[in-house]
Parts: sequence; structure tokens; C-alpha cells
Amino acid sequence: MLMLPEIIVIITAMTVLVADLFLPERLRFGVSCLSLTGLAAAAVAVLMTPMNGSLLGGQFGMDSVAWWFKLFFVISGFFTVVLSMDLLHGRTTFRMRGIGSPGEYYTVLLFTISGMMFLVSARDMVLLYVSLELATIPLFALAAWRREDARSGEAGLKYVIIGALASAFILYGLGLLYGLTGQIGLEAARVTRVSPAFWLAVAMLTAGVGFKLTLVPFHLWAADVFEGAPMPITAFLSVASKGTGLAFMFQLFFRNMGGWLDDGSLLIALFAAVTMTLGNCVAIVQTNIKRFMAFSAISHAGVFIMGFLGPHDYGVPAMLFYLLAYIASTFALFAGIVWYSNETGRETIPDYRGMSRTNPMMALAMMLALFSLAGIPPLSGFVGKFFLFSVAAGAGYHWLVGVAAVNSTIALYNYLRIVRQMYIEPVHEDGPAAPASWSLSIATAVLTVVLVLVGIIPFFYNAINGTTIAWMSGVLPH
Amino acid sequence: MGLLSWLIAVPFITMLGVVFTPASRWKAVRWISLIGTGTELALTALLTCRYWIAAGPDTAVTMTAKLTKLYFVERIPWFESLGIQYFIGVDGISVSMIILTSIIIFTGVLASWNVESRTKEFFALLLLLVTGVFGVFVSFDLFLFFMFYELAVLPMYLLIGIWGTGPKEYSAMKLTLMLLVGSAFVLVGLFAMYHVSGLHTFDLQALAQASFSKDFQGWVFPLIFVGFGVLGALYPFHTWSPDGHSSAPTAVSMLHAGVLMKLGGYGALRIGVYLLPEGAKMWGLFFMGLTTINILYGSLGAVMQKDLKYFTAYSSVSHCGFVLFGVATLTVMGLKGAVIQMFSHGIMTGLFFGLIGMVYGRTHTRLIPDMGGLAKVMPWLATSFYIAGLASLGLPGLAGFVAETHVFLGGFFGNPWSNPTISCVLTILATMSIVVTAVYVLRGLAMVFQGPITHPEYELLTDATWPERISTGMLIATLVIVGVMPRYFITLIESSVMPMINRLSGGV
Repeated sequence: MLMLPEIIVIITAMTVLVADLFLPERLRFGVSCLSLTGLAAAAVAVLMTPMNGSLLGGQFGMDSVAWWFKLFFVISGFFTVVLSMDLLHGRTTFRMRGIGSPGEYYTVLLFTISGMMFLVSARDMVLLYVSLELATIPLFALAAWRREDARSGEAGLKYVIIGALASAFILYGLGLLYGLTGQIGLEAARVTRVSPAFWLAVAMLTAGVGFKLTLVPFHLWAADVFEGAPMPITAFLSVASKGTGLAFMFQLFFRNMGGWLDDGSLLIALFAAVTMTLGNCVAIVQTNIKRFMAFSAISHAGVFIMGFLGPHDYGVPAMLFYLLAYIASTFALFAGIVWYSNETGRETIPDYRGMSRTNPMMALAMMLALFSLAGIPPLSGFVGKFFLFSVAAGAGYHWLVGVAAVNSTIALYNYLRIVRQMYIEPVHEDGPAAPASWSLSIATAVLTVVLVLVGIIPFFYNAINGTTIAWMSGVLPH
Repeated sequence: MGLLSWLIAVPFITMLGVVFTPASRWKAVRWISLIGTGTELALTALLTCRYWIAAGPDTAVTMTAKLTKLYFVERIPWFESLGIQYFIGVDGISVSMIILTSIIIFTGVLASWNVESRTKEFFALLLLLVTGVFGVFVSFDLFLFFMFYELAVLPMYLLIGIWGTGPKEYSAMKLTLMLLVGSAFVLVGLFAMYHVSGLHTFDLQALAQASFSKDFQGWVFPLIFVGFGVLGALYPFHTWSPDGHSSAPTAVSMLHAGVLMKLGGYGALRIGVYLLPEGAKMWGLFFMGLTTINILYGSLGAVMQKDLKYFTAYSSVSHCGFVLFGVATLTVMGLKGAVIQMFSHGIMTGLFFGLIGMVYGRTHTRLIPDMGGLAKVMPWLATSFYIAGLASLGLPGLAGFVAETHVFLGGFFGNPWSNPTISCVLTILATMSIVVTAVYVLRGLAMVFQGPITHPEYELLTDATWPERISTGMLIATLVIVGVMPRYFITLIESSVMPMINRLSGGV
């Protein structure tokens, strides 16, 4: 029962793969519906899963933090499928070359999601590492999905090489931890005595986490991979892979190195400051929307890790809440971007000019999403950032709050560049011909409502806070 | 839902009404906005009367209190675990600011009667902005305050960027970014107070009872004051203001110079001086110095301007300097003067920018040398312009005089915590700006309105239409009423300023 969501996702992946073989061309759309159904069922299963318990002799554990992460991963997967449907089934005005094979695409995507879900439930280093690989290796294939586009190939190759390097770092770090303690359980392998080998392990793991989470200076792969990947995968990368990085960091830093976290908090604060500043400053000069979103995602990584500062029971709910806001905002934005690229094949920022007059609703949704990402009240992004800033201030890092708040301004400048194109510039003479498909429209509407309401209705934060605090105050060392 | 919640809700509901009206019915949009803001005006009148009745008997108590007494309080827990609540209420300062905002938005809607491009979006953004402004003036929870504060700042970008004139995109971006950097400073200060107080609450009244150490107040107060000062056009962070105001469309300039810049002074007073009295004492003289530069620089800048909007914008920098100067004096007179100046400058600038919009709509130029003799064809507008000008140079009988007298007296006699000579000298320097103001106001107006008509096509221009007469008339009436009978107004403010003064003199 505890593993039911993962099992559903894996069974769906298998079923999609087999169904793809037998469905005739005109019913091929069924695989999308199948994937959506599977992910919806998995979401329901997550909701029904209890927030504690363990399986397989304690290797697979469940707690409230894992529960929320799983829910977010399944939701991200669901919206990625929604965003991919039109593209994969050729229901677009602009025919992107080399994209297709929906069955395989969904199978690979679903495997990634199952890997992410296992990752947060892993309670020993072996399962943690294996599920991390399960989560990332399929992503290499997805990044290279546009087979006839050299940029996509480049993205895949770059991702493989950097990913392998990161894995090597992580494996080395985990190996050192095992060597120091002789334990493979994450909580059992807690080092009690400082030694140079321990700091080496910490450095290795930090670098590995840095690669996954695109922390500066380990961020260099992000822009190229984002640019080369198909648009829905870019969305998935900027949301789910960020979530995976956070989950992985949580697993390592809280479960394993919990006691040392306070010592390293200055380092985390520096990482946060540098990451968000560089991400935002480089985004200023980007014109391709995918590269732009890559740097936006990098700067958000810096915001997210502020949740690891200070008192543990305070940071994690804020981080999870911001992840929820970030998912809703990013997908709402990408729904518009995917629609635009589906219709025209163009992906530079000036292409969006005049959109507020040709497609007012889509422009409004995109503007709200951009403002939410920039942290403008009363949208959820503002509330989430506010809570994370508060965590940093609570840990005594007042300078970091200043850096982060100034960064919000730079970010706003960046996002306003798009708003300006949509609302102020004259209409594009060759804009998209068709309105958004029903699937994209519904997704946009739902996500926009969510991104507005999550910040106003306290239910969401209270739910996350209530469940995680009760658990964390009992388990983690302070 | 109480009266104050309605005060926030009415503009918001009006905005929704505007949003759901089809864009082709842009005439209906104007009427919806007018009815909405008219309702707001009526609610404000009701609030003022009820406040008067409720607060009158308490005056003796509030004179000696250390905590601002709030009326019509509504509290609803929001993010409980973080100590965030929906906590609204009013004191005299808030009430006077609410009156100002209601008048300005109502006249602003009238002044934008002829916005015909993308009317629906224009009014929706205008109403969203004013929702934020009302929200700030009633919020007593810092989270809520900050939320409304940013909500009020952001629509400005689109309002200037879409409907503005001249280098509008540059001005809009400059304004938005500078104001948000200001709010970044404020944010650091807010979080510092939240955590250092140990109370884990954003409740302003609870934080007022916390004891912050002198060192802490010493570094947080300048953050808060400068952060809000950016919006209040504090020198040297005022540079967004002339560009922003001159690019903005009429109603937006009115609202921005009239109301939004007051959020800066209000925030500095409500959060800076009220929560951090020790910090205020430490930095009072420094900020008096900065604002003196503000006052002189703004007025000297205005002398040099050829464009009517730049002219008014620089004079706004100078007059908003009086507000912050009054706050920095830390005396009863100074603080009262600051609030009255916020009010009177709001009405006066609203009138100025409204009139400039009306004149520009006729002559299609804002350059002073290009105009001349306009008083012959538009007597109503010319008279209103002169009244606004005289109010801005502090003619007795108009609101500006009351405000400036208070501010100068407050500064001249100084406070016990700073060097009286310096404060006296600074005040004398600041007073000189009145002479400069007289120079630019009288000279500018003479060039625009007096003398022979320079361009023959100006002979055909018409005087104010009825919506324009109503809006200018309302603003002038307010200036005169406050100028002639300031007593009621001062009583309204005084009982709310006293707690701040009591906190200042009472030590930590």
C-alpha cells in the first residue's frame, strides 16, 4: 500500500509502452489519455497513502515531507503530459521535425517520475543512488528527443556527460560516508566525528547536489540543455528536476548530515546569494525564451535553498510551499510558451509582442505567472518567497534577505521584458493563427487559478506546515 | 464584513466589474468606474463621520498613550503559524489619507474621461492600484501592509508603459525598479523586526510593544526610512519621479504624485518612527539634512524646466521633501505638519496634474514657451491653475500654508535629541525654497496664461467641460476648506500623532 503510487506509475509506463505497439494510428491518442489516467490515479494514491511507515526492512520509508514531494512530482508529470499532447500527436500548426513516438516518450517520462518518487522514499544510500539514476537517465533521452535537431542532440550529450560527472561525485561522496561509518542507512550513516575524509565527502556531495540543482558554479549545463530539449521537457526540467534536486538535498543534508547543517549554513547562504544573482543577471541578456527560463530556473534554485538555512522545522514547509507555487506558476507560463511555439515554431522573446491584443486571456495568464515568479503580491510566488526570506532572516542572514530582495527586482526587470512585449509593443504581424487547444486552455486556466489562490487561501500552507512540522520536530536533531 | 473591508473591497469589485465588461462597451466601463469610486467617496464620508463620533471622546486618553488607538478593527487569522493576520483598522492619520485617496481617485476617473485606447484595461489597472493604496492605509499587519504596498506600485508599470507619452518605457521601468529596490530595503527591515523581536508576529501593535535594542534600531531605521523614502522621492533616490510623472497619463500622474508618493511618508511615519523611536532619534538630523537638499534641489530644479509636467514633478520632489522633513523633525508640530502636507500636497498635485492634462488635451503641447495668453480662452482652467500654484507656494487660506507652517515651526524649535542649532539652520535653509517656489510658480503661470495669445489657433480653444469643472472644483474646495478651517483636520491628526511623540520621549 505504501508503495502504491510508484507501482501505479511503473505499471502505467509498461502499459503505455505495450499499448503503443498495438494501437492503430488513429487511436494513438489513447496513450496520452492512458498516461494522464495513470498519473491521476497515482496522485489519488499518494493522497491516500499514510504519512508514515516503512517497507522492505526500512529501506523504503514514508513521511510527510516525502508525501508532499511525491504529490508534487506526480502533478508535474501530469501537466508535462498535458503540455506534450499536442506536440507529440502532430496537432500543431508548426510541424516540429523529428518529434514523435508518443508511447516511448511517455514511458520514459513516467520512469523518470517513478525514479523521483523512489528518491524521496529512499532510506539507504544504495536505493537513494539507484533512484537518482532512474530519475535522471531517462531525462537524458528526453532532452535529445528532437532527433533531427542538432541542438537537441547537443543537449542530450551535454546532459549525459555532466550528469555522469555529477553521479560520479555523488557516488564518491556516498562511498566515503559508508567508509567512515560502515552503515548504508541514511540516518544510521551519520558521522559523529569530524575528519578530513568527512569534509571531502561533504564537498563531493555538495558538488553533486549543485549539479542537480543548477547551483552556481555547477550550472553551466542548464542553458544548453533547456534550449535543446523539446518545450514540454524544458518545462519539466525547470520544475521537476528542481524538485528532485531539492528532495535529494533534503535526503542528504537533513537525514544524513542533519547535525552538521548549522555549520554549513554560511556556505548555503553564499551559494544562494551567488546562484540567484548570477542567474538573474545573465537572464538579462537572453533573447531565447528557453535559455531565459533556464537562467530563471537557476536563480530560483538560489531562492529554494534558502529553505535549508536556520531552524529546520521552519525552512522545509516554506520550501515545499514555494515549490507548489513555483510548479503552478512555471507550468502556467510554459502552457503559453508551448502554445506559441506549437503554432509558430518561434521561441524568442520579441516574438511575443502584441499578444495581449491577439490573445488577451493567454497573455493575462502568462503575465500573472510571470509576476508570480517575480514575487509580486498577492500571487503565490510572493507569499512563497516571503516565507523563504523569513527563514533566511530567522537564521540571522539579514544580508541574504537584502540580496534576495534586490534580486527579486532584477528578476522583475527580466519578466517585465516579456510583459512589455505582450502589452506595450505593437502586434506581431505573423502571430499564432489558432487559439490554444482545449487541453492547453484548461491547463492554463486551472494553473492560473491555483497560482492566485495558493497565496491567498491559507489552507495550502497550513496543510504543508501542519504535517511537516509535527513530523520533523520529532525526528530531526536540532 | 466591516466598513474598512468594504473600503478595500469596493475598488476591487469595481475592477472586477470593469474586467467582465466587454471591451467594446468602453463607455459603460467609465460609468462603472465612476459609480465605484463615487461609492468609495460616500463610504469615506461615512467613515469620517463615524470616526469623528467614535474617536472624539477618547482624545484625552490618546494624548498620553504610547500605543496608537485603532478604530473599526477587524482581525482574522491568516497564516497563523507565521503570525500573519488580516488586521485592519484606522487612526486619524489613516483616515485623512483615505479621504485624500478617495477624492483623488474620483477626480482621476473624471480626468481620464477621454481615455479611448484600451479603456477597459486602463480603468481596471487604475482601480487595482487604488485598491492597493486603500489597503496600505488600513493595514496594521506588516505582511498585509507590504502586500498592498507592492500591489499599489506594480500596475504603474503598465499604466505608464501603455498609455504614457514620451520615453514611456524607459520611465516606467525606471520607476518600477527603483521603487522595488526601495521595498527590498523595507523587506529586510520588516524581517529583522519580526525575528529580532522574538514575538514572531507581523502585528504592528504587538511589535510596537517589543523592546528593540538601540543598536538594532540604529541599523534598521535607516533601512526603513530610505526604503519608504524612495517612494517619497527622498534625495538622491528621487530621480524616478520627474521621468515617471512626465511620461504618465493624466490620471496616473494625479494618483501617483497625489497618493502613491504619500505611501512613502506614511510608511516612514507608521513603521519607521512608530516602531523604531530610538533609531529615529539617532538619524533624525541626518535625514533632516537630506530632505533639506530635497526641498531646495526640487524647487531649483523646477525653475529650470520648460515642460509643464517636469515643472510640476520637480515641485513635487520639493513638496514631498516637506513631508519627509516633517517626519524627520520628530516634533509634534513636525509630524502633524508632515501629515497635513501629505494631504494638501496630494490635493494640490492632483489638481496640478489634472489641469496639465486638460490644457495638454487642448493645446497638444506641454512646453511652457509655446503657450501664452491662455487665460483669455480658458478662464476656468487658468483660475484653477493659479489657485493650485498659490497653494503650492503656501498662500495663507489654502491648505499648503497650514502644512508648511507646521513643518517649519517643528523644525525651527527642534527636538531635545539633536543639535538645535543645526536643526534651526536646516529649517531656515528649507524655508528659502518658498521664495524659489514663488519664482517658478508665478513666472511659469504668467508665461502660460498671461499676455497676448501667441498662437492664433489657440483662439479657438474651449474652456473646461463639466466633468473637468466638477473634478477641479472638488479639489479646490478641499484646498480651501482645509486652509480656512484647519482646526478640525488638525484635531483629527493630532490625537494620532501624539502616541508617536510619547514613544519618542519615553525612551526604549
